[in-house]
Amino acid sequence: MSLLSLIVLVPLIGALVILAIPGTRIKLIQGVALAFSAVCLLLSGLLYHLFDTSTAAMQFVQKVSWIPAFNIYYYVGVDGLSVALVILTALLTVLAIIYSFNITLRVKEFFFWFLLLEVGMLGVFVALDFFLFYVFWELTLVPMYFLIGVWGGPKKEYAAIKFFLYTLFGSLLMLLGILALYFNSTPHTFDMLELINQARLLPLTMQIWIFLALYVGFAIKIPAFPFHTWLPLAHVEAPTGVSVILAGVLLKMGTYGIMRVSFPALPLATKWFLPFLIVIAVINIVYGAFCAMAQKDLKKMVAYSSVNHMGYCMLGMAAMSATGFNGAVLQMITHGLITGSLFFLVGVIYDRAHTRDIDAFGGLAARFPVYAGLMIIQVMASLGLPGLAGFVGEFLCFLGAFEAWPYYVAVATIGILVTAAFFLRMIEKVFLGPFNEKWAGLKDMNLRELVAIVPLAVLTVVIGIWPRFCLDLIDPTITYLVGIIK
Amino acid sequence: MSNLILLNPEIILACAGLLILLAGAFIGESRAKLLFHLGTISAAAVLGMIITQAAMSAYGMGTMWVLDPGAQLFKFVILAATVFTLLLSVNYSAIQPRHIGTYTALLLWASCGMMLLSGALDFIYLLISLELISISCFILTGFEQKNPRSAEGAIKYFLMGGLSTAVTIYGISLFYGATGTTNLLNYASSVDFHFGDPAYVMGMLFILVGFGFKISMVPFHFWAPDAYEGAPTPVTAYLSVASKLAALGAMMRIFTGVIPHYALNITLLIAVLAALTMTLGNLTALFQTNIKRLLAYSSIAQAGYMLIGLVVADPIGRESVFFYALAYLVTNMGAFAVAMVVAGKTGSYELDAYNGLAKRSLGLAIVMVMFLLSLAGIPPLVGFVAKFYVFASAVNSHQFLWLAVLGVLNSVVSVYYYMNIARRMFFTESKDPSAVETDMYTAGVIVITSAATLLMGLLPETFMRIVKDCVSFRI
Repeated sequence: MSLLSLIVLVPLIGALVILAIPGTRIKLIQGVALAFSAVCLLLSGLLYHLFDTSTAAMQFVQKVSWIPAFNIYYYVGVDGLSVALVILTALLTVLAIIYSFNITLRVKEFFFWFLLLEVGMLGVFVALDFFLFYVFWELTLVPMYFLIGVWGGPKKEYAAIKFFLYTLFGSLLMLLGILALYFNSTPHTFDMLELINQARLLPLTMQIWIFLALYVGFAIKIPAFPFHTWLPLAHVEAPTGVSVILAGVLLKMGTYGIMRVSFPALPLATKWFLPFLIVIAVINIVYGAFCAMAQKDLKKMVAYSSVNHMGYCMLGMAAMSATGFNGAVLQMITHGLITGSLFFLVGVIYDRAHTRDIDAFGGLAARFPVYAGLMIIQVMASLGLPGLAGFVGEFLCFLGAFEAWPYYVAVATIGILVTAAFFLRMIEKVFLGPFNEKWAGLKDMNLRELVAIVPLAVLTVVIGIWPRFCLDLIDPTITYLVGIIK
Repeated sequence: MSNLILLNPEIILACAGLLILLAGAFIGESRAKLLFHLGTISAAAVLGMIITQAAMSAYGMGTMWVLDPGAQLFKFVILAATVFTLLLSVNYSAIQPRHIGTYTALLLWASCGMMLLSGALDFIYLLISLELISISCFILTGFEQKNPRSAEGAIKYFLMGGLSTAVTIYGISLFYGATGTTNLLNYASSVDFHFGDPAYVMGMLFILVGFGFKISMVPFHFWAPDAYEGAPTPVTAYLSVASKLAALGAMMRIFTGVIPHYALNITLLIAVLAALTMTLGNLTALFQTNIKRLLAYSSIAQAGYMLIGLVVADPIGRESVFFYALAYLVTNMGAFAVAMVVAGKTGSYELDAYNGLAKRSLGLAIVMVMFLLSLAGIPPLVGFVAKFYVFASAVNSHQFLWLAVLGVLNSVVSVYYYMNIARRMFFTESKDPSAVETDMYTAGVIVITSAATLLMGLLPETFMRIVKDCVSFRI
């Protein structure tokens, strides 16, 4: 069994083990969930260690025949595009599980769904057979539905079903696209690498149709304008740990899918679609930023800032150059770290004050130095302060895109300004100024919260100072990818 | 007459029905449940017989009927559904002990009719098997004598059924008038001769209506929700699975085999009806508050998806219908079994009865979610593979890509009402927190169907091989 299969299998076993434990043994359930996700993280650390950064080829490949009638394989492998996302997923899951130890309602079910969700997410990033990819893609859907619907906020049921219907609509259209790719290959295959070789030769109209079918599926996940309306609702209603996973990992499945399949397999359609993609990216950036600025609710603000940041990602993708692509992938990772920790931090304050209204606070920095410190690091990283992780990704995205689309990039910079504005205003209102005595009884962060957030803050600083730590993983694959697209 | 032996399974089943009916007259009420077990055993025995004969192929009595892997597959589905239905009936309280013999016998005879139907190649033979099914099913639907809904459902079913049979017979007479034979194979040798003869096309259209009624194809579906709601729940499960699939099997034989619909130029008509069937079924299901009615409309929609494969009619399309039949058998049976358990505890088929089920019986709620997700077509369950197969055939055909797109949209709509039940089970509270117990027989059905729903989804290869063999078989 290859390392990758083991990484995917461990959380699945964990989920089944949890199902077998009686629901009253809460400590045991939490321990089991943590143990299995930690093993998964250790294995992905091993993956990082063993990963060969000198090649663009697929590594740790395992290929087993699954459904020969349709030429379907259990086929997994990673390259520079996916390896960092696998590690990010494993890391965020462990941290989110630690943070979620404060969940008291139906603990058994919670961690069962959570580990199942991890299986789906990891599977999406390692699958190289399109059918397998689709199965994992859909596997994330059901756990997320229950995680939002049972443990979410006041409008949880609506948020859960809206998320489910939106994503399912997209993924079913994607399924049609996958089938079209399958039937246009000879011999019929779902092998992504083989499809990339074959589909490039299809006529333009065919490519465009397939591209659009796949794009709707991916765009809803990203979420790209105008498919973003499920996101603020789902992010805000979901419990903290789940919001972190939603923003940190699930959104990346969309951009990952486009870079993994749509671009290399359908180069003609990609060229045709680029003008639209850049417009969508700019709308995401500017519109997302303005929406975030209009929010009074901290969590909603962070949610809309995700729309804005995924716009940077798409901007980098639209560049069609190694710089832009490197930026896009790095942005996926740094956004996972930064926005993940922002959602944690919003959760911390909400657990104490039971409000997320920006105007309700004031002067928190003096009383809660640790909390304020972490929040300010991550906010600065998010608005792109040099020296922190967010800057590197955004800078590369803009740099790459500027060559190809200078005017659009000029418009997109408005987004950066607005992002800085709303984040700084938030810091001013929440942390500076006179202290609101209403919150005098609150305590600073406890150990559980620190364990969940500090690793992310450390990584944010490390990647900001030494981005090659990440870029070296990505670069060979990206160079190869740009080569075959062009 | 010598190859009447080919009908041995049907003959055995019919005789078992007769014996059980007779035994029912003499057995004491306290021991009447024994008859269910006798019925189950005989159906299971015949099922075993069919499995051993899976590879057999022959024409019976000239070309009255055919025995081929396709027919055997549908017989397998029908008998499996019969076994499940009888197991579900054991502890179904609305069936009075003194009627158990009649009930079991009718069920076996209906199954016998369906088995005959799946191999029919002659319209007279086909008509007799259809009548055997219909008459048995009419009575079974009205079996809850104390329940006015049951009587209402049975009457509606009977009136609509009678009408559709009349239309079918009229169609057969037109066909006979145009071709001079009731035999499909004799006719098939002179296809070109009849091409474009209006009487003949009219005849086939009327016959299509008859089938459309049986598989609850829109606009011939009006009986289904009322009959499904009124009938005893095991019978509802039986009607929605066995009766529908048997008719679909015969439709496949006729309209994609001996007289393909494209040769009749009615492909577009069937495609539009398939589109209407899934769309109306799903849209109406959205507004149901009763689980039996909801599953009735959902089963109408499911018939619509299956018809896509029939419309495409190439090998992949036909395989997809066969596979879908297997998937639908286990999934729908399981869903009805859970519905019966819940109603047995709460006494209600309203959706409110599902509130907070996850807290009362987590296991039951999880398997119900599995069945619902499978019906909705979410991986890794068998319903997904079935839908994947059907959509694959439509995408492959190019011409019917629009049906696949419509099917996708319908799947999204259907998720809303399927997940609405999941929402009630997991997100809401129940007034009564006590656990919902499952009796041994129903639990058996639920375990088998849920295991099959999961395993056939994860490892569909064996079944895909079987359906491929069925379709590629030439006698």
